Amino acid sequence: MDWTFKGGIHPYGGKKLTKESPVKELLPEGDMVYPLSQHIGAWAKALVKKGDYVKMGQQIAKAEGIVSADIVSSVSGTVKAVEERTVPSGDRVNSIVIENDGQYTPIDGLGKERDYTGLSKEEIRGLIKEAGIVGLGGAGFPAHVKLAPKNDEQIDYVIVNGAECEPYLTSGYRMMVEEPQKVIGGLNVILRLFDRARGVIAIEDNKPEAIKRIGHLVQKEGRIEVRPLKTKYPQGAERNLIYAVTGRKINSSMLPADAGCIVNNVDTVIAVYMAVCRSTPLMERTVTVTGDAVKEPGNFRVKIGTSYAQVINAAGGFKTEPEKIISGGPMMGTALYSLEVPVVKTSSAILCMTKDEVLQEEPGPCIRCGRCVKACPENLVPQRMMECVEQNNMEEFARIQGMECCECGCCTYVCPAKRPLTQAFKLAKRVIAKERRRRKEG
Amino acid sequence: MKDLLNVSSSPHVRSKDTTAMIMYDVALALFPALVFGVYRFGFYALLVVVISAGTAVAAEYAFQAATGQRITVSDGSALVTGLLLGLNLPPEVPLWIPVMGSVFAVIFVKQLFGGLGQNFMNPALGARCFLLISFAGLMSNYPVDSVSGATPLALLRAGKEVSVRAMFMGNIPGCIGEVSTFAILLGGGYLVIKKIIPIWIPTAYLGTFVIVIFLFSERGRDIFYLAAQLCGGGLMMGAFFMATDYVTSPVTKKGQMMFGVLLGILTGVFRLSGSSTEGVSYAIILGNLTVPLIERISIPAAFGREKKRIQGENRLKIKKDAAVLCSITLIAGLILGGIYQITKIPIEKQRKETVVRTCQAVCPEGKTFEAGEQLSRALSEAASLFENGEFGSVVINQALEAKDKMGNPAGYVISVTSKDGFSGEITLMVGFSPSEPVLITGMEIVQLNETAGMGMRADEEEFKVQYKGKPASKLFLTKQLASAENEIDAISGATITSSAVNNAVNAAIYFLHTYIKAGT
Repeated sequence: MDWTFKGGIHPYGGKKLTKESPVKELLPEGDMVYPLSQHIGAWAKALVKKGDYVKMGQQIAKAEGIVSADIVSSVSGTVKAVEERTVPSGDRVNSIVIENDGQYTPIDGLGKERDYTGLSKEEIRGLIKEAGIVGLGGAGFPAHVKLAPKNDEQIDYVIVNGAECEPYLTSGYRMMVEEPQKVIGGLNVILRLFDRARGVIAIEDNKPEAIKRIGHLVQKEGRIEVRPLKTKYPQGAERNLIYAVTGRKINSSMLPADAGCIVNNVDTVIAVYMAVCRSTPLMERTVTVTGDAVKEPGNFRVKIGTSYAQVINAAGGFKTEPEKIISGGPMMGTALYSLEVPVVKTSSAILCMTKDEVLQEEPGPCIRCGRCVKACPENLVPQRMMECVEQNNMEEFARIQGMECCECGCCTYVCPAKRPLTQAFKLAKRVIAKERRRRKEG
Repeated sequence: MKDLLNVSSSPHVRSKDTTAMIMYDVALALFPALVFGVYRFGFYALLVVVISAGTAVAAEYAFQAATGQRITVSDGSALVTGLLLGLNLPPEVPLWIPVMGSVFAVIFVKQLFGGLGQNFMNPALGARCFLLISFAGLMSNYPVDSVSGATPLALLRAGKEVSVRAMFMGNIPGCIGEVSTFAILLGGGYLVIKKIIPIWIPTAYLGTFVIVIFLFSERGRDIFYLAAQLCGGGLMMGAFFMATDYVTSPVTKKGQMMFGVLLGILTGVFRLSGSSTEGVSYAIILGNLTVPLIERISIPAAFGREKKRIQGENRLKIKKDAAVLCSITLIAGLILGGIYQITKIPIEKQRKETVVRTCQAVCPEGKTFEAGEQLSRALSEAASLFENGEFGSVVINQALEAKDKMGNPAGYVISVTSKDGFSGEITLMVGFSPSEPVLITGMEIVQLNETAGMGMRADEEEFKVQYKGKPASKLFLTKQLASAENEIDAISGATITSSAVNNAVNAAIYFLHTYIKAGT
């Protein structure tokens, strides 16, 4: 029996568009844009100014505060400006703009092999921090913070999240199939930080090839096992993944470490491997370019800072006019209004659709069918939460645990009346969080 | 590329299911019950259902058009309401009944409370109860091929045997869509398999109902009685199609189970001790009213919050709500179910007064009515008198001697019960003149549970008055116009009732001649 959680949905997968396409290297042209905020937490501080020459792999921005991340240049060239640019989330963020000279001149020692077994835990954490690694699954939580819980001894599970439950996305799958030794290498580096922990690579059972390849390699590894998971969205959501693997439950106010777990996505683990064993900081990531509007859907190894328009061009451009373009997957991604945004650390996919399903049906009144209740992986009652939002009753929203919503979108997906539930909950959560902060301060 | 891409909040994909698809699936699931109803009751039944459904859709359209709202009749919800109501009507109701019911359901129960999703009561059931209360006669007349019949539940209450197999298949009198348990299960099963209705509601409902009947009915240990109770009346239709109405049932699994249990208890109590044999409609409507309360106490603990949640104030609040819910069930059950028991004594008093009034009605000369010693003796001997069955199964209850103001004999009043009525006992009183030639001075019905519009017409003046002035000798029923002095016109379409009444009168005449007159 495969491991799973309660609730969830089975949306159209769309993975076959790109599942079999090997990851291609994409070399960018023109300006590269590095927003100072590509992670959760405080913005990084720019270390370069207009006119400076930078090499590939050079640190161009430094973490400010505890939760923040460094930023590294993925090309060599001249800093053109430090100015506000639009990022995929739609925000305007101060960004370092570098004119790519096309030489890719590296800093000294870039790519040098390193034996991590001789390093202390502090040295490993330092390398991860300097590499600017954040959670590449989408949340962007700085990895060096995640890998430094209060007490290393309480961690007994290090989980690699290879669920990739978002429809259409196959970048994690391709990496597991093509570079399984890097995934295992990265996991071994992390396991070195936690002596009591064992490693679990959790993969949804719709990726038998990945399970087979990694499973084959971990046979030699005493501390690592592969755990097939039932294919169901949102299997890869952190709380559900931890439950599926360990049977432990965490809520919105807890960290995975509170349940003795460290969870990292496949690309993140590879980035850890590259930073520690190959002296290569986070400069690129795997991006799935897909959707029925794209000519040649596929997976690309893209340098951070490359514009979305260039990535789509690399996939042959559009075959039909897209109606909606999403950064990320269809369930939790952000709809874009411009393609002149840079690939950031958390850009997992570019999904171009010829049809906007949201526009197909007009929202109708709730008929209380209860499908949202059944689908909610957090065991909430979205139907009642929506009533609270409509009545602007934030107190009741919080009382019925509305703040536990993980915004996975299952309720909205199943709603036969096509009501924008998730959107309302996002709003309500932010209103309540803001009010709580205000009260705390005032 | 377009200048403007569509931008919206995630998720960007939607399932294919829509409200309309769900509604049409429910309509489809009602099809077996409809087909069977039409097969059993004929084309007219189809007409009733079609008019009911059509009126519901038209009423919704008219209301939305008149109030300037978006027209949403294509979502199918009005259609389902109309279908459900139509299937819940007796097969030969006049056609204005479905029209009136559907208008009431859609406009008063649904639209006036805010339309789809806002009504607190199942519109079809609301309308059915409205019709049941307002037009009791028409709504409880269940003819098959124009011949009235008692429903199996009425027979069960009268202590008679019923065929469970006929009930399961649907060869019984009843509402158009309710008679065949098999057809309903076919549609209900489809909805359960397609996951359109939660299985918790019907299983909790039927399970609790069986337990209640098993525990509290004298015949509850009889498997056939249990099966007959399950297949009888609107229980199956109610459990699968009415109680599972999304709008008026809880959304959480826990709530759905609580709701089912509540309905099971209420239906059991109503059926066992209520004055009507059916209890499903009222149980569900009452259950609908408790849904907001059930929702409050059935909010599940969020993932990872199971331990923390039920603490302190919250816990108290839930306990309070649960207590309120229990007391509502208890009080409602007691009031509605026990009303029959509570009112027994006043009813008895009233009955005695009625006896005197009836005596005066059948024997106008009389002022006081007494059972003398001689009459009492005659009565005790009378039991053996009717053993040969000439008058069917009859019993002489009372024989009274009437005296006028001056204390002179003014005649006799004899009370007879025949057990041969269509739905149980018929009790009547016959008055006789004091001296020869003995004439019948009047006949009044005291107790009659026959089918409305058919057997019940025995209590109409037109029928009863025929006995007045007839000589006290054996009387005969005729289906032609009565011409001879000893002939009585039978009630058309109610032969059984007519002959039960006539036998009872003849028994009284026989008793009078054999005992009273012979003795004096």
